[in-house]
Formats: sequence, structure tokens, C-alpha cells
Amino acid sequence: MTKAHILKAALLGAVLAASGCAVNETATVTTNSAGEQSGVIVSNSGFLSANLRIADTKIGKAGDLMRVQATIENKSRNDASFQYKFKWLDRDGFEVSVGGRPWQPLTITAYESKAVQAVAPNASATTFQILVQD
Amino acid sequence: MKKLKLLAVLCLSVLVSACAGNKVSYGDATAVETTTTGFGSTDLQSIAAKMVDDVLAFPPIVQMTAQRRPVVFVDRIKNKTTEHIDTESITDSIQTKLLQSGKFRFVDMTAVKQIQEQLNFQSDSGLVDPSKAVAFGKQTGAEFMLYGNMSSIVKRNSDTKDVYYKFTMKMVNLETGIMEWAGEKEIRKTGSKSFLAL
Repeated sequence: MTKAHILKAALLGAVLAASGCAVNETATVTTNSAGEQSGVIVSNSGFLSANLRIADTKIGKAGDLMRVQATIENKSRNDASFQYKFKWLDRDGFEVSVGGRPWQPLTITAYESKAVQAVAPNASATTFQILVQD
Repeated sequence: MKKLKLLAVLCLSVLVSACAGNKVSYGDATAVETTTTGFGSTDLQSIAAKMVDDVLAFPPIVQMTAQRRPVVFVDRIKNKTTEHIDTESITDSIQTKLLQSGKFRFVDMTAVKQIQEQLNFQSDSGLVDPSKAVAFGKQTGAEFMLYGNMSSIVKRNSDTKDVYYKFTMKMVNLETGIMEWAGEKEIRKTGSKSFLAL
């Protein structure tokens, strides 16, 4: 390996390390109205896929509005700080109240689980997703 | 040698000009914002989302809104923090979300003067067909009032600042004076000087 090669490799490493600070992958869990979980965390982010797990999702009703709870588990021995957001879809797959819910910061201490809850913006929502990003 | 100097100057100028340009970009309005420990968009959005979820999931409210859409008026949120916070913006978000849920209706007290002017125009100007003019005294009175408080505790030492916000919202039945619902949202933000900023 020549000096130029080493330099190139070092530069590539530095760029990768710098871009590692800006991981912005989204993990999705989709649950249908019958309560069947049809998706799991899919992410290219090492942090998310290695340390976080959606341990449980629950669906209930508040009148005719869908009410959901997701338990997020931190499997690592370090505190996990990340952001989550709920997304609502109607029967036909259209997003309900687009951009209506904000990304919310959440910190879970080592080996702890935390439940996050939300109520659907209106009665047309039948499916939800939880998006997680670091 | 002269050529080398020229090349160096050229390279430097290209670098400087690349850094000096104005850059404008659009961001996600719902993204988490942590510019300072002051009250920000994420706090506003989190408060609105929490309050709306709380109201809509509270069992007596679920029961009350099952068959009808109660009429509510929104009073102001008292800002007891040391910051200037547009609390009307928070109540606007909450009101919009509650209205869109299809569970509540609102009377807008901020538009009373304009509504009155329009009614006076319809009845007094002589321009509007009296059979088509909106009648006086037919408006619906609100059954419930939404109001609340926002307070903060700020603590700091030489390199850390800790801000704690507490937002409380209440819904009172105007006829009976009974508080039907109250919700609370707490936010803690800590800012510390970074190693590089020292």
C-alpha cells in the first residue's frame, strides 16, 4: 500500500466518522386495527437496531378514537436519547393530519423500558406507525 | 515560484468564497429544536400534543362527547415564566387539534368585535336584504372554558443551566363551576457549555 492509499483510506474514515454524527434513519412499526403487529424496526442506524426494541404495542379506544401505547426498551447499558413520532393512517392508507404530530425527544436509562402513548387525531385513523430516529 | 504563489492565492480565494455565501434551507417544522434552553417550537408542539391526548382520552370527557360536541371557549394561559412566550399560539394549536378531532366546537372570543360589526352592517346599513340578514341573539353560549398557567424554574451555575417548565390546563363547566378536566405537561431542559466552547 502506498502512502497515497493510506491517505485516501484515512480521509474516507474521517468522512465516515463525521457523517456518523448525523445518522437520521427512521424505524417503523406498523400495527393494524386488529392489533396485529405487521412490521418491526427496520433501520440502518447502528444505534437504533442494536439498542432499541419496540417491546410491546397496545391498541384501545377512547370513544371512537384509536388510542395506542408502545413500550420502547433500551437493551444497552448506556442511556439512550432519541426522538419518536406517531403517524396515523386511515383505512385507505392516507395519512391523517399530515405533520400534525411533532418529533418528541425521549431518554431511556440503561435496560429500562418506557411507554409512549398517543390518541388518534380523529375517528378516521385506523392504523398507526411509530417512527424513531436518533 | 511566482506561479505557485498565484495558485495558492487562487485556492485561498476559492475556499473563502465557498464559506462566505449565504445558505438558506427549509427544515422540518416538527423536528426537535435545541438551539437554546429557552421556550421553543418543540416545547409548544409537545405541550399541545399532550394536552389534546389527555382531553380526548379522559373517560368522563369521552362519555360527554360520545353523542354531542360541547361548545368551549378558550381563555388565556397565564405566562408566569420569566420569558416572553406567546401563549395564544399554544392555545391556538390545542384549539385546532380539538376542533379537528370532531369532539368539540368553539366560540372564538377574539373575533367577537368583528362578528358584531358584521351583524350591525347587515341590520343597519340598509344594503342587506332583511330576510337574508343574520338574526341577532341566536348565538350559542359556551358550556366550558379552557384556561391555564405556565410557570418555570430556572437554575444555573457557572457552566450548566437547567430550565423546568410546567404547563397546566383546566376545563371548567361554566354553569356549575365544576372543573371537569385538568392536564399537566412538564418539560426539563439542560444546557451546558460544550468542551469546544470553553
